[in-house]
Amino acid sequence: MKKNKFFKMKSLALVLSLLLISLSSCEKQWIDSDLNIDPDSPADVPMGLILPGAQLAMGFVLVGNDNVRTNNIWTQHFDGVSRQSATEARYQLTSADVGNVWSSTYTSILMNLSVLVEKSKLEGSESPYFRGVAQVMQATTLGITTDIFGDIPFSKALGGGQGNLRPEYDTQEQIYDTIFNILDDAILNLNAEENVLPISGDAIYDGDRSKWTKAAYSIQARHYLQTSNKTGNDAYTNALAAVEKGFASNADDYLVPFEDENRNPIFQFMEQRGDIRMGSTFVDLLLENDDPRLSFYAAEDGDGNYVGSEPGSENALASAPGTYAASPTSSSVMMTFAELKFIEAEARLMMSGGDIALAQAAYEDAVAASVLRVTGEANTEWLDENINGVAVTLASIIKQKYIDGFATNQPYADYRRTGFPNLELAAGAVIPQIPTRFPYPQSEFDYNNENVPSANKLTDKVWWDQ
Amino acid sequence: MKKRLHGFLTLFLALVVQLSFAQVSSVTGTVTDEDGMSVPGVNVIVKGTNTGAQTDFDGKYSVQAASGDVLVFSYVGFLTQQRVVGTNKTIDVTLAVDAAQLDEVVVTAIGISRSEKELGYNVQTVSAEEIGNKPNADIVNSLAGETSGVEIVSSSGSAGAATFITIRGSASITGNNQPLFIINGMPVASGGGSSGIGGVQTSSRSIDINPDDIATMSVLKGGAATALYGVRAANGAIIITTKTGKNLTERKMEFHSSVGFDVVSQLPELQTKFSQGQDGEWRSGGQYSYGPRISDLEYDGDTDYKWDPNGRLVPKGTGAGIPAQAYDPYEFFQTGITTNNRFNIANGNDQGSYFFSISNFDQEGIIPNDTFERTTLRLNATTKISEKITFGADMAYTSSQANQIQKGSNTSGIMLGLLRTPPTFDNSAGYEFADGTQRNYRNDTGYDNPYWVANNIAFQDDIDRLTGSVNLTADVTDWFNISYNGGVDWYTRRYTDQFKIDSKGNPTGYYAESQSYNTIFNSDLLLNFKHEFTDDFSAKLTVGNNLYSTFSKGLFGDATGLEIPDFYQLSNSSNNTTSSYESEFRTAAVFGDLSFAFKEMLFLGFTGRNDWSTTMPEQNQSAFYPSASLSFVFTQLEALRGNSFLTFGKLRASAARTANIAQPYNTSSPFVAVSGDNNVGDGWTGPNGGVNFPYQGLAGFKLSNGLGNPNLSHENQETWEVGADLRFFNNRLGLDLTYFENKNTDLLMNVPISDASGYGSVFLNAASMETTGIEISLRATPLRTEDFEWSFITNFTKIDNIVTGLAEGVDNVFLGGFVVPQVRAVVGQQYRSIFGNDWYRDDSGNVLINDDPTDNYRDGYPMADNREMVPIGNFNPDWTANITNNITFKNVSLSFLFDIKSGGMMYNGTAFAMNNLGTAKRTEHREVTYTPEGTIDFDATPAENIVVMDGVYGRVDADGNPVSTGVTNVTPVVQDEDWFRKGAGSNFSGGPSVAAMEPADWVRLRNVTLSYDFPKIVENVDNLQLYFTGRNLWIDTPYTGIDPETNLGGATNSQGMDYFNNPGTKTYLVGAKVSF
Repeated sequence: MKKNKFFKMKSLALVLSLLLISLSSCEKQWIDSDLNIDPDSPADVPMGLILPGAQLAMGFVLVGNDNVRTNNIWTQHFDGVSRQSATEARYQLTSADVGNVWSSTYTSILMNLSVLVEKSKLEGSESPYFRGVAQVMQATTLGITTDIFGDIPFSKALGGGQGNLRPEYDTQEQIYDTIFNILDDAILNLNAEENVLPISGDAIYDGDRSKWTKAAYSIQARHYLQTSNKTGNDAYTNALAAVEKGFASNADDYLVPFEDENRNPIFQFMEQRGDIRMGSTFVDLLLENDDPRLSFYAAEDGDGNYVGSEPGSENALASAPGTYAASPTSSSVMMTFAELKFIEAEARLMMSGGDIALAQAAYEDAVAASVLRVTGEANTEWLDENINGVAVTLASIIKQKYIDGFATNQPYADYRRTGFPNLELAAGAVIPQIPTRFPYPQSEFDYNNENVPSANKLTDKVWWDQ
Repeated sequence: MKKRLHGFLTLFLALVVQLSFAQVSSVTGTVTDEDGMSVPGVNVIVKGTNTGAQTDFDGKYSVQAASGDVLVFSYVGFLTQQRVVGTNKTIDVTLAVDAAQLDEVVVTAIGISRSEKELGYNVQTVSAEEIGNKPNADIVNSLAGETSGVEIVSSSGSAGAATFITIRGSASITGNNQPLFIINGMPVASGGGSSGIGGVQTSSRSIDINPDDIATMSVLKGGAATALYGVRAANGAIIITTKTGKNLTERKMEFHSSVGFDVVSQLPELQTKFSQGQDGEWRSGGQYSYGPRISDLEYDGDTDYKWDPNGRLVPKGTGAGIPAQAYDPYEFFQTGITTNNRFNIANGNDQGSYFFSISNFDQEGIIPNDTFERTTLRLNATTKISEKITFGADMAYTSSQANQIQKGSNTSGIMLGLLRTPPTFDNSAGYEFADGTQRNYRNDTGYDNPYWVANNIAFQDDIDRLTGSVNLTADVTDWFNISYNGGVDWYTRRYTDQFKIDSKGNPTGYYAESQSYNTIFNSDLLLNFKHEFTDDFSAKLTVGNNLYSTFSKGLFGDATGLEIPDFYQLSNSSNNTTSSYESEFRTAAVFGDLSFAFKEMLFLGFTGRNDWSTTMPEQNQSAFYPSASLSFVFTQLEALRGNSFLTFGKLRASAARTANIAQPYNTSSPFVAVSGDNNVGDGWTGPNGGVNFPYQGLAGFKLSNGLGNPNLSHENQETWEVGADLRFFNNRLGLDLTYFENKNTDLLMNVPISDASGYGSVFLNAASMETTGIEISLRATPLRTEDFEWSFITNFTKIDNIVTGLAEGVDNVFLGGFVVPQVRAVVGQQYRSIFGNDWYRDDSGNVLINDDPTDNYRDGYPMADNREMVPIGNFNPDWTANITNNITFKNVSLSFLFDIKSGGMMYNGTAFAMNNLGTAKRTEHREVTYTPEGTIDFDATPAENIVVMDGVYGRVDADGNPVSTGVTNVTPVVQDEDWFRKGAGSNFSGGPSVAAMEPADWVRLRNVTLSYDFPKIVENVDNLQLYFTGRNLWIDTPYTGIDPETNLGGATNSQGMDYFNNPGTKTYLVGAKVSF
């Protein structure tokens, strides 16, 4: 009996161990590590597929709602007439409000451009051309972003993959140096003698290297001029040197296109939120001179008039933005020939030993280019009556640049740098001056607290504004 | 659809017909207890067979047996008795209370049955009787208030809306915190229903279960209870056992029908005195309700003015004499109707059993066209292949269709349009013009008219789900058996989302279509051994293996810019996008459960499970999870036996390590296709706008925003609990106490990082949480006579769920919500803090009231501190309790359940926005007249409008820092248009979120049921019951919005947000059950 039971146990043990062995071998197949490779996400993609996303993001984010809409309320091109836009009109902008623009700028634009720069160096598919395009876009992005925030991370940034999760900040002065260096390098790359992989996926210039080269010089000119309070005459001479090789006509303009399927961000904002109207400062300025650009910049109000909302007055009956900046297919303007001519005019006017006649000519060309770009017509008569031959001053240059730069970030930068045009405080302002920068985002205080500058007031001044 | 149903029915019926039954003669009798009371529900089994019956309400039974058979009478808490069937076919039995048997058999992890007394951890069981008459579509709602340690939040009163359930708090920061659902041994899909801040409130997949199929639900709460489930039950488990035909002796059929009526419950109060407009002037199409007094206005009767049938509003005496009036927007809501029909048939004998059910649930909610319909079929059958081998199969099919209506932060949200409409605009006077454009109070801009939404925007959800499993039990010897359970849970979900052209969020129209295919496969093999070493000492051992996999694949397409109006087809546009997704993972496990019993007094159990998962990196695929538990029935000690005061007493203790694995695809950082959501989110445009690829004819990819991690390891949850189960006076009074602690470490989460790193987050084993809690259950039967019984059960829960650490350098993370406020996990705080801006305060926490006439803040009012967001409240209750009373008088039963939630705050963003718009009742006291000096003219200003805000005088200095004088504020002010519309009195004008935080405590009569069991009137009818049930008939809460049992994002971790949520409901239901 005992023996019998023993045998029973033994055979059972045998059955069990066989079972477990077969199970464990089956489990090895069952637990297949390859299953953890995401079937929807490629491990690698060609450069031509990365470029369009970064370009679209640049147009949508840098010149879209979170940057331009807010700072154009402050420059009184717009007025916020309800909800958060009305709050912004009273100069309330919190760290929480700028999280979206900050994260898109770094993770959608700069990170993917940095991937492009690295991929362009891969052996066998070297592409200095691609690298040059990515670098011009990097410089454009850094320029707009630093002008808005001040010090920002870059030299230590974008290193998450290498374990640097909390990047240190560069000073704005360092960022400016970086912008100039990157653009110098971009120009070399765009004109390199050897290139394996041609540019593809370029929604901006369709791979035209000469236009990218002109864009590189033009962005350089923009930022050389921006340092005028810091570097004095060098700013003007450096800017002028770059202007020479920059855009030659409106056809060279640096624009991010939108289409019916992918509509302009301000258009989408007006369609879905509608919380802004044209600002009275801007509309009145255009009305004053019967400016032909007015009917493109602004839409008629309910009574068929062009009326701006006085800053902070929340006049929802005022004119909405017009087709120039707020039609579905309006492009985001990164930089224009007109702006370059304004830069030239200012540099020639302000540099020691400058030539006023050349300044005058550049100023007149600038306004003419602007009017042509915005209205599609030369409007020579109007130019002759209002612009041509009227002695140029810094105030008149910046005033016209302010009109030309509607729906871009440049008027806000120029206003802080030059104080033009003269703007009155909005009704209900909660701080005694127009803000001089955006606050850093809450996410930087939460996740990069040791590095984000603790000075974070809207009234702090960025380096070139000090 | 019909064809498919037909196919299933044929299959089911074929199986039913296969089973045949033997005939024997009837034995009848009555079972009573020692007090002479009849005992219903006693199991009467013919020994050695599966034949048997249960006693009915009067203790009577009827069982088929032959002379010489032995009848076994068993019932929880009583000594089992055996009687031999002789010539007398009537056998009456008196059962004696058995102290040692005062417990039930409960189903524990992996389907292992254990006597309750053996358990070293707390398990609560909810039976069919407790849920059978409740009017909920989703079974999870029926669990609300039934147990301790379980928190349930219904997201809204919309038809089919999701419900969020957690057991013993939360164990994960950003991952799943809802329990595992097991039906008859098969883990099934139960989650879903998280919605974001707009859109619609979709369902949780637990809604696919027909509540009438359920026999019992065991709630496994702690780690020791769930350790055998390894990586899938760190959040507890709900083990559902469906009804079967086992132990029936004759065929039983049940019909159960009910009809329910839903009405809207609590709603925010509205002002009715002021018209549309601003600054005291009426404005056509204006967004605000800060116009003139309605009593001062009349209509001008201009029929050319298309926005109102009576024309424009003009000062009294200047129009057509039609007086202005305040309309009641809440007339929008209707009485919802739900019909629910259920049928089941079952039988069983010693050769096998079957249970078949079919049900249909059909609901139209309180919002027009808000519907949910569900049809279910179930067949469970067992048969004996041989004396020792039993084969069984379970099949359940569910088909559901829902039409869900927009809610929340959404230009089409029902409550958003409704509550922002000025009192002088009548939404119901037509929502569409002949040319197809929309009539709304913003003159066809802004927000959709809610009637337009209910009729022109539809989210249609369509589910087909089939769950099937087979089980095989082989009793190899009397000490060894093998059981196997393997099955598949498979469902497809198809939804369409259509916005008519001219909706404010999608002006050119929108159509989306999605199809997904989801499968769970599960296989459990168990080898069960038992051995009695001596009469007093025995052991049981189970070893087993589990294989599990999930697979889902989905396809999504959408179109904007519809060409042909009212035609919803993806091809009706040149602007469409498509995408697809796929996800798969597998786990494997071996496990063992070893338990020892000594003298029916000491029970010691150990479990161990080793899991492997494909979602983990190769070097960390494996992890081991042990548990140990001890139960000591001290009333089995000689000295305490037979004590009539303390009938039964047990102390228990257990400890376990359980955990969780990563979701798939977190070990690397690939590229992803560019979409509007992942590339350019600006918080303003979209979700259906934004920009999508292809862009300029180009495809686009970008680096994934989340940084993967090749070094992930399993999460770790260490838990222990101690408890006592004490029963007094022959089980008339029972007290169960539990204290538990959970320590979670290495919690996996997407840790947000500086975006400047190039990534938004990195997946890490980072966070830790600690949860402690007390659970108390008290059961009592204070009164019991022959005709009357009153019993009650009450549960009390107090849980502290503290986040003890996140990642290095991170002290809070986003869980959900808006730009401001948000729900976050904050180190050192209760899980899911609401995070927003506060008022400027002094060091003692007093709100500063501005006293500086030279600054930009208004004097006499508090000032918003927008420097940074801080924790401003928490939805979690301090404690919860519930009391269910059951009163039975003869054939009448009354049961009512009070549910109490104490503590917890909710963000009433609805009220905060209504302040800005001037529709909230609190904005009614807005009128103020100032003297030429700028002070309040106390003679001209209504006295009831004058308030002094709480706080102390202070100001904000030039550096933005608060300065307090410490002097209590006494400055009278008026909360006027400048405060509510333009000042810090609302969110849209810079007010801090803290001003919208409201206590969300409640006492509610969650359920009341009155039922009547008819005496036997017809021979073939075993039971006929009529009942009335009411749900949420009474709620007492300080919350000023809708029913505070709500959540904007649906079934998600970010609880505590109300922003134009669709309201809750009260339900009145009548039903009838008849069984043959």
